[in-house]
Amino acid sequence: MEKGYSIKSKPIYGTLVWQDHAMHHVVIAEGEGGKALLKLFQQKLPREPLSVLYLAADPQAEKYATTVQKIINEPVTIKDSQAELLNALKATLDSCYMGTQFYVAGTEGFIWKVAAVLRDAGVDDKNVFKELCGSLGRRLYCVHCKTTNENVHHNIHVCTGCGRHLIVREHFSRLMGAYMGFMIDAEVPGEIPAAEEIYP
Amino acid sequence: MSLLNVKVTAVEQITEQVKQFTFELEDGGKLPYFSGGSHVVVAMDIDGRIHRNAYSLMGPTSDNERYTIAVRKQEQSRGGSVFMHEQVKPGTRLQITPPTNLFAINKLAKKHILVAGGIGITPFMSQISDLNRLGYPYELHYAYRSADQAAFRDQLEKLCGDKVHFYVDDEGRRMNFTELLIQQPLGSHIYVCGPNTMVNSLVLMAKQMGWPDNAVHSEKFLAPATGEPFVVSLSLSETEVMVPGEMSMLEALEEAGIDAPYLCRGGACGRCELEVVDCDGELIHHDVYLSDAEKISANKIMPCVSRANCSRMVVNL
Ligand code: FES
Repeated sequence: MEKGYSIKSKPIYGTLVWQDHAMHHVVIAEGEGGKALLKLFQQKLPREPLSVLYLAADPQAEKYATTVQKIINEPVTIKDSQAELLNALKATLDSCYMGTQFYVAGTEGFIWKVAAVLRDAGVDDKNVFKELCGSLGRRLYCVHCKTTNENVHHNIHVCTGCGRHLIVREHFSRLMGAYMGFMIDAEVPGEIPAAEEIYP
Repeated sequence: MSLLNVKVTAVEQITEQVKQFTFELEDGGKLPYFSGGSHVVVAMDIDGRIHRNAYSLMGPTSDNERYTIAVRKQEQSRGGSVFMHEQVKPGTRLQITPPTNLFAINKLAKKHILVAGGIGITPFMSQISDLNRLGYPYELHYAYRSADQAAFRDQLEKLCGDKVHFYVDDEGRRMNFTELLIQQPLGSHIYVCGPNTMVNSLVLMAKQMGWPDNAVHSEKFLAPATGEPFVVSLSLSETEVMVPGEMSMLEALEEAGIDAPYLCRGGACGRCELEVVDCDGELIHHDVYLSDAEKISANKIMPCVSRANCSRMVVNL
């Protein structure tokens, strides 16, 4: 990696912190994001109406879910598939107005799937608080065959759509929630460096 | 900045204090198209001094034959509006800048809430023509002091139908900001234009009710403040310019023949920013562009509205 190099389109994630002026808080998390949820509730239990949606698809996540429920003493929407969680989120949005603050914690792929649902409802992703948790695996969009590859951990990845060796670039599309992947041996076919696992 | 030479083709008295002016290009050509919320800066020659005021374009955005603006007569002001009211007649020739838009609607919004106070209705006249054409959902809330000051009310009723709501101060029908801001659908944007106090309190209320900053748009009509005279020294061009008490720094620079940049002339856009190299007194910031931290650090100034209590200021120009 080049020193000092960073690119504007690449999202920077923070730590979830309550927005004091919000009239309603909606917190959406998955997997390891459960820990961000717990950290958030350690700051305080807000006075304003609160909706919590959590995707728990493994035993560790279920543990987080149980703890969260104990702490907040309010019903938490828990789902075990992403599709169901996103549907529950859409249903929740029907009762949200301006002044609602959204918080998302989870992997990058999850964060941007949630952001896409929120965007359809008119929420600008700049106003959504995001915390990156769990795997650093990237979603990779192949610019050649337009396949989106999930959970890419290596800097060079064989596209599941077209079999090309793609180099994972830093260019990120917020609309697609994915990094751009370009064929690495376009100039000298077959010249492919060894892949390194840099997004564990 | 390249200016447009226009002539006044019509002047209409709208209310006791408001007049509407229609401009066409002097040589009869087509004016540049503009988007809803745009303004132009009108240059007026008042006793040999060039005075520049920004006014919103009101006409439908589809009309590139003529521009219309409305001017409220501000008796206590430094003369721009009085000049427009008293000296400008059909046939008068003026120079205006091409339109710039610092108050455009956000096209991604799900709903637009427009809030006007008094003459602050003007930028919304052209925004409404855009909103109607695009079929976007909106509501307009318009407050004025008394029934005889309801500029453009009939026109608005025709243009907006049941989307417009009127609030008449002296009839006790006041706008309630909390009510305007509560239970608005996600993706709403609010736009406010009017007197300072109104704009400030609505913006503050929106913040307290959890509205994100980027969904709140405002335009104020800031007239440059008057104050003590001082000298500006231009380090790059090695010139000194005296800023009289009743003139803004920008006006004084322009008068001295310096081509200083500007867009809004209202302390909002940041275009006129100058770097302050040295100042033997205190800067008095009136703009809404610089952050509080930048204002305190005292090395930037917006000469369109801000000035200083000093004898000499050095800027990088
Ligand atoms: S001209 Fe816009 S801030 Fe001065």
